[in-house]
Amino acid sequence: MQPLNKVSTGRYKIVRIETPCRPAHRRLMMLGVFEGDEIEVIKPAPGPVILEKNGTRIGIGQGLAAGIMVEQTKEDK
Amino acid sequence: MEERQVILTGNPNTGKTTIFNALTGLHQKTGNWPGVTVEVKEGFFIYEGINFKTIDLPGTYSLTSFTEDERVARDILVREKADAVVVIVDSSNLERNLYLVTLLLELEQKVIVDLNMYDIARDRGLAIDINHLEKLLGTRCVITIGNKKTGIEILKKTIYEVSKQVKQPTTKINYGKEVEEEILHLENIVRDISTPYPPRFFALRLLEKDTEIWSHIKGQSNIHNEVKKITEHIYNKFPDIEKYLIEKRYGFIHGLAEECTKRTEVMEEKIEITNKLDRAFTHPFYGTLFFLFFIWVTFNIVFNWGSPFTDMLGKLFSFTSINLKRVLFSMGCPGWVISFLTDGIIGGVGSILVFFPNIFLLFFIFAGLEDSGYMARAAFVTDRLMHKIGLHGKSAIPMILGFGCNVPAIMATRTLETKKDRVLTILTIPFMSCSARLPVYLLFIGIFFQNHRGSILFSLYLVGIVLGLSTARLFKRLFFKEETPPLIMELPLYHTPDIKDMLISGWERSYLFLRKAGTIIFSGVIIIWILSYFPRSASYAGENSFIGMMGGKLAPFLRPAGFGYWQVAVALLFGLLAKELVVGTLGTVFGGEVALTKALSSIFTPLSAYAFMLMTLLYIPCMATIAVIKQEAGTKWAILATIYSIFIGWLVATLFYQGFRLY
Repeated sequence: MQPLNKVSTGRYKIVRIETPCRPAHRRLMMLGVFEGDEIEVIKPAPGPVILEKNGTRIGIGQGLAAGIMVEQTKEDK
Repeated sequence: MEERQVILTGNPNTGKTTIFNALTGLHQKTGNWPGVTVEVKEGFFIYEGINFKTIDLPGTYSLTSFTEDERVARDILVREKADAVVVIVDSSNLERNLYLVTLLLELEQKVIVDLNMYDIARDRGLAIDINHLEKLLGTRCVITIGNKKTGIEILKKTIYEVSKQVKQPTTKINYGKEVEEEILHLENIVRDISTPYPPRFFALRLLEKDTEIWSHIKGQSNIHNEVKKITEHIYNKFPDIEKYLIEKRYGFIHGLAEECTKRTEVMEEKIEITNKLDRAFTHPFYGTLFFLFFIWVTFNIVFNWGSPFTDMLGKLFSFTSINLKRVLFSMGCPGWVISFLTDGIIGGVGSILVFFPNIFLLFFIFAGLEDSGYMARAAFVTDRLMHKIGLHGKSAIPMILGFGCNVPAIMATRTLETKKDRVLTILTIPFMSCSARLPVYLLFIGIFFQNHRGSILFSLYLVGIVLGLSTARLFKRLFFKEETPPLIMELPLYHTPDIKDMLISGWERSYLFLRKAGTIIFSGVIIIWILSYFPRSASYAGENSFIGMMGGKLAPFLRPAGFGYWQVAVALLFGLLAKELVVGTLGTVFGGEVALTKALSSIFTPLSAYAFMLMTLLYIPCMATIAVIKQEAGTKWAILATIYSIFIGWLVATLFYQGFRLY
């Protein structure tokens, strides 16, 4: 398990979202990103992490990305 | 003519503006909603002999009261009780977009789902079965491709048909037996209190701890207590009920989207391009370079392309003014009438209209940057620095534009989403040294700092930036205590912006500026004219005119800063109109350009000259800026910005003068 700002491109599963900032967590949920979801990292850090879920492309600032714990899923494409 | 009301809503980046433009054409304006700082546009179209008044709400993901956009959207929805509510949906993102639809259904609106950008969905290999979707949602659905005008007629027809119907769709999301029971309880309790919301919507928002909804039951203590008991009970079982409810809604949508979409062959090309561009544009180093490049281009277009038009307008006005003067004089008009018409009215209108080319171009370019998808990326580039100061990533662009002219810069803060970020950014902008202050610097630097031109000029810009950013920090501490949330933003695929949409956006926003800020600037100009012209025995803006007397009264206050002369005070008063007038006024009161240099070198020392430049940089934004602050942030902030900047200007100039005088 690693924070989102430390991983490279590929498919991951979100294990936990830890942020003291409720509005940020809420915004993530509104965009359809939940714990347990599978996502694809399109562009890793440095800079914002860009991920895709269900065709929605979301940019996430470094600070928040550090609090999103992910696990790699199998490497087939 | 019979009138009906339509509301357009939808997530950001769904091509909502394009649909609004396609529906209403040029019959639109930015609405005047009391207390609303986010943009709400209004327009109309005529179909089957009925006038459909159309309101375009700000793009939102949800309908909570946690952000201003959403609160505004929700308020308008419940207040207006529209005959049809069109939700513009990005067809390639069905799941996320339908979330808002579920909330609108709970709000018991007569919803039409507009599956827009259908071509992109097709390119992404998606086919949507709209008949099935209509059945499952219980609403009408339409397919459109906004930028190609496809489906607009069918959309109009559907709006017409739905607006005739009385009944609303009744699709409900089931939140699970346990929660549903409690929702029913809450519904029964709140049914009797008068709110504009449907009981179920009200009950759900109570559960989600929506403060605006809770405030409706604040006064009624027995209802409040009962509600409290039920919600506490639920919170015990579901510690994060908000998340639970959102997940349930997404569960419903997920099932629905799965059933209604078929995946076909994917056209990866466009996505690949976006991936490549994103890697470049959001890269910490190259991204910054690209950002600076785009800003440089924008700056050049706005101010360089704009300046020939501005000059032309300026010449046109002075030409009219001079000739009118001549004609009126030969007709034997009294002097004050001539002066009022030419110096007052024409000068006043001129001082407003000269901004038009720049503002138009700015919003033309901005619409393009926004529409292409770049603006969302740019926010990430500057976010790290801005975040430290307590501003938003999107604050950087308006601030940089402030170096050209504060007026369009303040209007550019419209791209910021929350009122807090907008107000903070607006307050920093007047400290960005705009191009109108340059003539003042050039005059004084030319006389007093021949050998250090560059570094003196640079130091002034730097002082402005440092004070601007400190102001943002200070005001954030004072007025907006909550933490700036980390940046999360949806990044739409890049695409070529639509020129027509850019033109409409440029026209509509610059027109708004002329209409709203124009009246304030105009009255300011007239007041200054009266003060300069009267009493009639005095020469225009001379020592015995009212403004000269005011200057005399103000001069002692300026003495600690090293320039306590009535002429200088009058120049500063004229600077209210536009800061470049400081130079012109000094010229007038000291009697011509040659005399000016002599006079200035006799009453100023290099020290007091620098103090005066600091004052010019910092004191009061010009009248146009004050007007536009009032328009964008409200009277309270405009007054605060004015008083604060006078104080800071005076304080910095005085401290500087007194501090260095000792050496």
